[in-house]
Amino acid sequence: MLGALLAIPLMGAVLLWRASGRVATTLHALTAALTLVAAIAVSVEVNRGDALVALDGFLRADALSAWMIGLIGIVGALAASEAPRYLAHTTPARFYPLFHLFVFTMLLAVSTDDVGLMWVAVEGTTLASVFLVNFERTRASLEASYKYLLICSVGIAIAFLGTVLVYFAGIQQFGDEAHALRWTTLLRLAPGLAPRVIELAFVFLVVGYGTKAGLAPMHTWLPDAHSEAPAPVSALMSGVLLSVGVYAILRFKPAVDVAAGPGFARSILLALGLLSVAVAAAFLWTSPNYKRMLAYSSVEHIGLVCLGLGFGGPLGTAGALLHIANHALAKSIVFLLSGRIRVAYGSAEIAAVGGLMRRMPRTGAGFLAAMLALVGLPPFGLFVSEVMIFAAGFTQGFPGVAGAALALLVVAFAGLLRGAHAILYGTPPHEPAAEIPGWRPALPVAAALLLLLLTGLAWPPGLTDALDRVVAIVVR
Amino acid sequence: MTTASNLLAFLGLVVTLLIVWRQSWPARLRLFVVQSLLLAALASTIGVLAHRRGLLLVAAVFVVVKGWVIPLVLARIASGAPVRRVAPGRSSGIVLLGAGGLVVAAYIIMLPVTSAVELPTEGAIPLAFAMALIGLGLCVTGRDALGHILGFLVFENGIFGLAILATYGLPGIVEAGVFLDVLVIVLIMEAVVVEVRREHDSIDVDRLRELRG
Repeated sequence: MLGALLAIPLMGAVLLWRASGRVATTLHALTAALTLVAAIAVSVEVNRGDALVALDGFLRADALSAWMIGLIGIVGALAASEAPRYLAHTTPARFYPLFHLFVFTMLLAVSTDDVGLMWVAVEGTTLASVFLVNFERTRASLEASYKYLLICSVGIAIAFLGTVLVYFAGIQQFGDEAHALRWTTLLRLAPGLAPRVIELAFVFLVVGYGTKAGLAPMHTWLPDAHSEAPAPVSALMSGVLLSVGVYAILRFKPAVDVAAGPGFARSILLALGLLSVAVAAAFLWTSPNYKRMLAYSSVEHIGLVCLGLGFGGPLGTAGALLHIANHALAKSIVFLLSGRIRVAYGSAEIAAVGGLMRRMPRTGAGFLAAMLALVGLPPFGLFVSEVMIFAAGFTQGFPGVAGAALALLVVAFAGLLRGAHAILYGTPPHEPAAEIPGWRPALPVAAALLLLLLTGLAWPPGLTDALDRVVAIVVR
Repeated sequence: MTTASNLLAFLGLVVTLLIVWRQSWPARLRLFVVQSLLLAALASTIGVLAHRRGLLLVAAVFVVVKGWVIPLVLARIASGAPVRRVAPGRSSGIVLLGAGGLVVAAYIIMLPVTSAVELPTEGAIPLAFAMALIGLGLCVTGRDALGHILGFLVFENGIFGLAILATYGLPGIVEAGVFLDVLVIVLIMEAVVVEVRREHDSIDVDRLRELRG
């Protein structure tokens, strides 16, 4: 099953390399649908029984992997559904194969037991997506892709340094165990690892994978790449690529907690999380471009996730994991809608867009609902996960950090609502093109909003259980 | 083994400092090739003395990728670039001083590693890390795309050296993945730089200032 999950998007990408026209669109839809089915099947299977293992333990999916796999499947399908609509306005050269290759690298990163291969896969996500960021081939998108490639490559090289040090600590203590780069082995050996070396390694790992996750101050590539990439790619990047960076940090956290004591990783995660929320809160007020504004909102939410992981305990960790999922759902549909808005108004500047509610009522309604979810209002899931994170902060003995983050959250909230208000109401300088007719465009939006209502109001059966299983892996 | 690894890592650091000092591009590229060959020699020395056959293969691939293919691509990127004059006000003396500071920093940062073990190669570990730090510095302060790429590659070389010295070689699949990654990064960089030059008639980073805020 795990092999099939990885083979489907990879095969799709290979086949799509030469396909064009209707064949390409059909093949793309088929690949996306099969990936979604396989992802959900793997998630369900893992949550019913034990971790799935394939290729002599090289591929391994436990509950934490399953959480991410399910999410990548869902967000991938949402983004894929928008791709043909996006490509109707442009030439589709290589978009589909790179899209599925991008999905494949993310799936590989979260379903391998080898932290070295995980590193290769995370680097692969950059390489697969850099041409997608520059897909529109404008000066701005070119600059964005250059920054993206350079900053993330340097970041990921720093993460490699951390990985090398972890391996070094392992073989120093226990000799040449053949599988010392395996996560399962690492966790078993963790109590005997040299604490100072592991601390140093974790610093490199957090800086490296944190670059990929968009944590401040390593976030500088993010607003450029997210705002210049095509809408479906922005949705994937913001929805799941950033979380894959967090996932990589999360894999090392239990080993670090055991080897060096829980305080070390916690203080780093809290500091970076708080800084990210602060930077985002400031820039949410000043971004003139709505896709940039949404990108900074991603920095804010990844910051919140880090705070949740830093507060720790079952509540904070579960809150952070749930927040990753909620944010992925809300942000991906906002990015998809922003792509439609950009096509209709011909601009990504907030000043050029207005009166969305009246001009494009269905797009406007979806945008409003998703924005309300994104700022953390009930009845949507982000409210619940934010409450969990802050409750963990106050009960685990970090009232100062939690209070400061809460204050910053209010600033970010107001900044985001101000931007949303300007887009939804008022009079635009130019009249937009007509809304896309039919019910199909509303389908992905409605599906994501429904899921957000579920995580906000009535947890479906199995969600508590799935979160408990993830918590059991991360909290040591 | 201690003498050999210390000597080779020290020579590697000297070459790195020369890269910082020299401002002309062809000279920097030649020095990068020399640095790569020194690191390959380091890998094969450790491979022979510590009886790690795999490291000899790694060294061979390293020579091909970092000593031959990547320099070729870099030369191709540079062939279309106007020769960049040294910016006024940036004396290489101060830059060298900064690099010297990074060497000291490397020794301090690597203390937990060097004090944790009794390896014959432990003395060379901070030297390799200093290479990496200086490469990172070159990358961050680079004024054009070539400077960025070269800095990144020197950084990567330093990490490779550190990995060899500290672990006597990583698992094969990871080594292979790393080589592939670096190669693809440089090739993609070339494609991006070609477009940057077409758009801006230059590869100066100062021209890239569309995106702000």
